[in-house]
Amino acid sequence: MIQLGDYIVIQRQKYTKLQKFGSLDATATLGKEHIELKSLLDQPYDSTFKMCVKETKSGKRGAQRQHSLELCSENELRSIRDVLGISSSGADNRDIRDNGEAQALKSEDIEQLREACNESSKIIEKLVENSKTFHTRTEYSQDKYLLKKEKKYFEFVQIRQPTIRLMVDIFHRQDAEKIMGIRVDTLSQIISYSGVSGFGSYLLYESGTNGLLPAAMLNSMGANTEATLVHMHPGNVPQKQALLALKLPLEQQQRCISVNLYSVLREYYQGDKAEPVTETAEQPVEQEEPVEPLSEEGSDPIEPSSKKVKLDESTNSHKKSAQLRWQLENKRASELMQQKFDSLVMAAKEHPSNILQALLPLVKPSRPIVIFSTCKELLQETYMELKTSGKVTNLHVTSNWLRTYQILPNRTHPEVNMTGNSGYLLTGYTLK
Amino acid sequence: MSFLKPKTHIEQGDVVILYLSVNSMHAIEAVPTIVNKKGETIAHIFQTPYGSLKVQNIIGVEYGSRVELSKGWAHVLQPNPELWTQTLPHRTQIIYTPDISMILHQLEVRPGAVVVESGTGSGSLSHYFLRALKPTGHLHTFDFHEARADQAREEFKQHGLGDFVTVYHRDVCNLGFTSALDGAADAVFLDLPAPDLAVPHAFKALKLSGGRFCSFSPCIEQSQRCIEMLTKLGFNEICSMEVLQQESVIKTRTLPIIDLEFLKEPKPADNGTNDENKTKEPKELKKYLTSSNPQVLPGHTGFLTFATLPPNIPKA
Repeated sequence: MIQLGDYIVIQRQKYTKLQKFGSLDATATLGKEHIELKSLLDQPYDSTFKMCVKETKSGKRGAQRQHSLELCSENELRSIRDVLGISSSGADNRDIRDNGEAQALKSEDIEQLREACNESSKIIEKLVENSKTFHTRTEYSQDKYLLKKEKKYFEFVQIRQPTIRLMVDIFHRQDAEKIMGIRVDTLSQIISYSGVSGFGSYLLYESGTNGLLPAAMLNSMGANTEATLVHMHPGNVPQKQALLALKLPLEQQQRCISVNLYSVLREYYQGDKAEPVTETAEQPVEQEEPVEPLSEEGSDPIEPSSKKVKLDESTNSHKKSAQLRWQLENKRASELMQQKFDSLVMAAKEHPSNILQALLPLVKPSRPIVIFSTCKELLQETYMELKTSGKVTNLHVTSNWLRTYQILPNRTHPEVNMTGNSGYLLTGYTLK
Repeated sequence: MSFLKPKTHIEQGDVVILYLSVNSMHAIEAVPTIVNKKGETIAHIFQTPYGSLKVQNIIGVEYGSRVELSKGWAHVLQPNPELWTQTLPHRTQIIYTPDISMILHQLEVRPGAVVVESGTGSGSLSHYFLRALKPTGHLHTFDFHEARADQAREEFKQHGLGDFVTVYHRDVCNLGFTSALDGAADAVFLDLPAPDLAVPHAFKALKLSGGRFCSFSPCIEQSQRCIEMLTKLGFNEICSMEVLQQESVIKTRTLPIIDLEFLKEPKPADNGTNDENKTKEPKELKKYLTSSNPQVLPGHTGFLTFATLPPNIPKA
């Protein structure tokens, strides 16, 4: 069931988007369409909804439409081709000229159509009727035309529950830099090589992946298991969007201990001696490193930028308990650090060398380490340092090639575009 | 028992990875004695290019330690699916870590998941499934080769994974995944010569609330037929891909720098002793940290086809 406060994945054909369903007034934007989320409440996930135009405002970039959503049955989703019943098609493209006169309808006419009819199939029917070239196109080309138009006028959206698989797709497509360019194949290999699973205690350092890395690891640790994760980050507050979106049970969330890298290492080395005396700040951050500006995510409507405000407010009234909370987390992490970890994963925006030097002694012998970097040079250096140190063996630097295929009868070929950079992984096993 | 969870010391009966070099590692069983071909019980001695290892000596040793061989040394590592995949006894062709990682990710396998796999083969992928779904999930793995199924069952038990897996000897293309598994699976994985024949059975095995499907096939025609069947049965999000991993070979190279500028000047006066001095000057050298791709690397493993069975599709 879709609940208030949930993160949801809105899917319109192949386009997906992560959105927080924070209140009944919440709206989502899909291109020029604004949709009201109100009617999602208490409906089951994976339901399909129909976008119904409520009002149209003229904005800077053409008409902005406001839609409400209506739950619809699967039966309503029928093949657009069946509805239109297109039969005649040309043999090739010899009679088609790109002279801008193929479509008899003017753009204003089309806008009016969009308001008048609620169904994309009707709009497309009109477009086809008024297209001079449609019937001279080949069947493949007609398909393509229909798909293109359907994409533009498609009026159904599906609401799905966020999973790691859906989120890495969304994040990578929208802004790969926000997840440090970690591509799906690389993420899957980080999980494999690190061996993160329902048993063991894991250490992660990441400097900003929208919470994707800790979420993926916690997801692999599973609910009701004994596995724990210490998640170190360089900033004020950890980026947690992906973690929140998974909506994991509290028990599982609590096994991810997010701590600031500096303050937890101070706690680990100096223990109670490190207790700050006159601290008025709400956060344990040592300002040795420029902290990831929160505004970076502020542009994203789903990032809870209110979090920071809330923290500030709460620290005034509950200063003591707030302090206690991060201190307790540091203590918990520190205890796990004393017992040492069953693997180390790093995805650093900083040079990995010094961080690795600090964290490597916290890993038990015969355990995997996985270091991600977008560029190879950093890992080359780290590779050599590790090789010379003799503390890690079976060292490999790898990258990937990922190619997706269009597989259709008589039309099978690799997709025209592919992503060129998977990032690089340095993997190895610690020695005694 | 060394596959169940991370552990620190080698116990008798553990499978241990004896790591000699990147290209040389072996899975050995930590038992003091073995029975030889003549039926005699003898001390377990493992031979390597760096001399022999008396296996008894490694029992009780901490994982990650260096152990002495008669003519050198090696390291002992706790096995995991990655190391096992590189050392296991091949009974069939196997799938390697890059493809497997994508399979686990796309099938959304996590603790608690119920996974159906066919065929079991050498159990390389099965070990990954088991790591990802234990302690609360279950793997049902099928092979039509009786000896292979038996061997795999024995191996899982020896590795401490017996509680989380059921191994079936069964031809799933003709007989399906048994009615007991109807509507029981979160994910189905097929690695079969004719995956399209098993797709209807996968359809039946997946939960009514939906699930994920994957088929691995070396040839595109198999994927085409498979996709045709998936489409017919109402699967969506159908997508095919190929993942290839490339290793970077990292080396420090020392390159001589040649000076050609002096050629622009006339030779200094022909003075024997002077010339000799010049040639004795050390050549300038520069050190570079370089990386290059290996001469030969895998160019094709297989096409991975993934699909989603949406919820509430009637299966009658």
